Amino acid sequence: MLNFLGKRAVASGISFVGLVLLVFFLSRLTGDPTSLYLPLDASDEIKNQFREIHGLNDPLVVQFFNYMGDLIRFDFGDSIRRSEPAIDIVLRGFGWTLQLAAITLSLVIFFSIVLGSLAAFHVGGAFDRIATFFSLVGASAPDFWVAIVAIVVFSVTLGWVPTSGTGSFAHWILPVAVLFIRPFGLIVQIVRGSMITALSSAYVKTARAKGIKNRSIIFVHALRNALLPVITVIGDQAAALLNGAVVIETIFGFPGVGKLMIDSILQRDFAVVMAAIVVTALAIFLMNLVIDILYSILDPRIRY
Amino acid sequence: MFRKSRLFMATAIASTVAFSAHAQDNSVTIVLSEELEFVEPCMATKSNVGRVLFQNISETVTEMDPETGLQPRLAQSWEDMGDGTWRFHLREGVNFSDGTAMDADDIAHSLVRVKSPDIACEIGAKVFGGIEITSNIIDAHTIDITADPAQPILPLLMSLVTVTPQDAPLDSFVDHPIGTGPYTFDEYERGQFITLSANPNYWGDQPTVQSATYVFRADSAVRAAMVAAGEADIAPSIALQDATDPAMDFSYPNSETMFLSIGHAQAPLNDRRVREALNLAIDREAFIGTVLANGTLLATAITPPSTVGYNANLKPYAFDPDRARELLEEARADGVPVDAEITLLGRSNNFGNVLETMEAMLAMYQDVGFNMKLEMVEVAEWLERYAKPLPEDRGPTLIQALHDNANGDPVFSMYFKYHSNGQTSGLAYPEVDAMIEEATITTGDERTAKWSELFAFLHDEIIADVMLFHMVGFSRVNERLDFIPTIRTNSELQLSQIQFK
Repeated sequence: MLNFLGKRAVASGISFVGLVLLVFFLSRLTGDPTSLYLPLDASDEIKNQFREIHGLNDPLVVQFFNYMGDLIRFDFGDSIRRSEPAIDIVLRGFGWTLQLAAITLSLVIFFSIVLGSLAAFHVGGAFDRIATFFSLVGASAPDFWVAIVAIVVFSVTLGWVPTSGTGSFAHWILPVAVLFIRPFGLIVQIVRGSMITALSSAYVKTARAKGIKNRSIIFVHALRNALLPVITVIGDQAAALLNGAVVIETIFGFPGVGKLMIDSILQRDFAVVMAAIVVTALAIFLMNLVIDILYSILDPRIRY
Repeated sequence: MFRKSRLFMATAIASTVAFSAHAQDNSVTIVLSEELEFVEPCMATKSNVGRVLFQNISETVTEMDPETGLQPRLAQSWEDMGDGTWRFHLREGVNFSDGTAMDADDIAHSLVRVKSPDIACEIGAKVFGGIEITSNIIDAHTIDITADPAQPILPLLMSLVTVTPQDAPLDSFVDHPIGTGPYTFDEYERGQFITLSANPNYWGDQPTVQSATYVFRADSAVRAAMVAAGEADIAPSIALQDATDPAMDFSYPNSETMFLSIGHAQAPLNDRRVREALNLAIDREAFIGTVLANGTLLATAITPPSTVGYNANLKPYAFDPDRARELLEEARADGVPVDAEITLLGRSNNFGNVLETMEAMLAMYQDVGFNMKLEMVEVAEWLERYAKPLPEDRGPTLIQALHDNANGDPVFSMYFKYHSNGQTSGLAYPEVDAMIEEATITTGDERTAKWSELFAFLHDEIIADVMLFHMVGFSRVNERLDFIPTIRTNSELQLSQIQFK
């Protein structure tokens, strides 16, 4: 296992350097941020001073090596837009994103596994049909539309929950609920398909012949074997959530890293773009490692 | 299970009630469309910064009122001393919110600070670009300010200079602004909210609104919903399609003018007949009440009707596609390359329905025979193609732009847009340069006449641009407030002007 972890760390490190290189030069290809931050009629002297302050007058290669030198010391530079350390801004946003992703994903995993398993156990039955219908609707519903409708119905008309923002338990309800729908719809379908295969296996028939209760057959015997493809899809969904739920963050005013990243790209705030990508890449690297370890726990035949 | 769900709902409702409770009493919540990058007073001419800081935290020496003209604020009076020098007599007994007294040293320091190259303030570049400013302190409450070249409207320019204490740094922005205004800056929780509260030591009358919270929501529908749900009191800017409640929604001229900037250097746009055809091909009336709001006005100049010298005698170009086709044929017969491809460049998300507006104009141009393509680009790319230095390889281009001038005088617009050295000028006409320079240094009725003459020359003689619309903005205001948005709401929101019903 340690050998595997070492190899993964080296492979991820190489990918990480490649990613930093790519994002650094691609982001600079978008152009000079000076015109975005100064008035149109700013003098050439002021523009030059601005470029000097932000190190934009150096050749691109020099800027890159300066950046990498600073990065080794965990100095991500300052945001042009907010005049504060980029890493502080990103970690603040990432904290919100992490909470939103963790809560949503926990609910998705729980409900989709339970409902997907039960639907698979009653294939073709009323429960299966209802679960399939709602999961397909959920997987295909555009979240910006669901979010606005949810605000109009539950906040403006019924007044049950706040429209947006943060500050109390109630503020989490709508964002989590809207964010929940799509991955839930997708994973229910994956669980159902995988469980149908598992439940038709010889070992399940044997378990039934031995008189084991249905609950144990589903959740102890079949589920463990059905979970491998489910974990793969959950990993994909988690990666998407860690990158930030841009639509949800925008509509509900959640100060997460997704909207921050998009705004920073549009505003050519390179230090924040780089810091956001580095932090997100590290988080996804760690998550993939956890998923690999989970594979070997769920299926002892997998050895690293 | 049932009890658990009831408990869950009760908790949610309790939290909601707790949340909306702060939108009560004498406090207000204002929902803005974007977060503030800076809380720096010298950046207060940026609309998102200005709506929080301008005249709430940081005051100016003079104040421009769209109804009554230039008014005293921190200065009680001013006089022209000649040779570009103006003397300002400051109000006595004014303190900053940290308790220190405001005097002439603070005014002098503020002028140095807005021009400091180490912080590149928006106000310094916008108001005093190309102008040298020096101060001479006569006594604690009298200061002479000299502009070189002389600025007859220096008192008007001072209505944009926010005053900061003399210990405000010259090389960095502040993150906790101190001002003389009716409010103090309490807290900025990045990404979430800003809070202000009434300044108990304010020199003027105590405002009715005792505290304010600013929150940020990018989506217009959500901003409108927040006011409808009672979570916010004012959404200064919402989209046309969200302004659906006559009891809460106000439209107002937002001081922005939409036009297509013509680069006169490239053929076929260097031909006057082609520029006239560009104006005649657009059915301006068709946009109003459809993709643009009712109340939108047809424009003949880059500044709104409330500015000095606005020429009410000018008539917008009528929609005449047949005449546009004739003009193009005449130009073609004279060897003008009217079939050259023209780029119609739009700025994405510049205003609601910008894409629909641009697509409709493209269709109108193609209908009269222009070979035109539409490009919609983000703000960064748009700026590179709109402001000098322009790309060397640019072809003939019409650039859609919104120009904002709520300051009452064309000087804030005309050099910048039409002088051959102007940063976004597509023109190089010595007579236009001379007219701008003359109008800039005159005063009174003569100034009004000269600006008016220039507007006519640009619109009728050289056909500088395709002037389109004076735009309308929408605000949603909670019915508990006595507050009507004005042309200034686009750039500032004075809390002290808000009353409760």
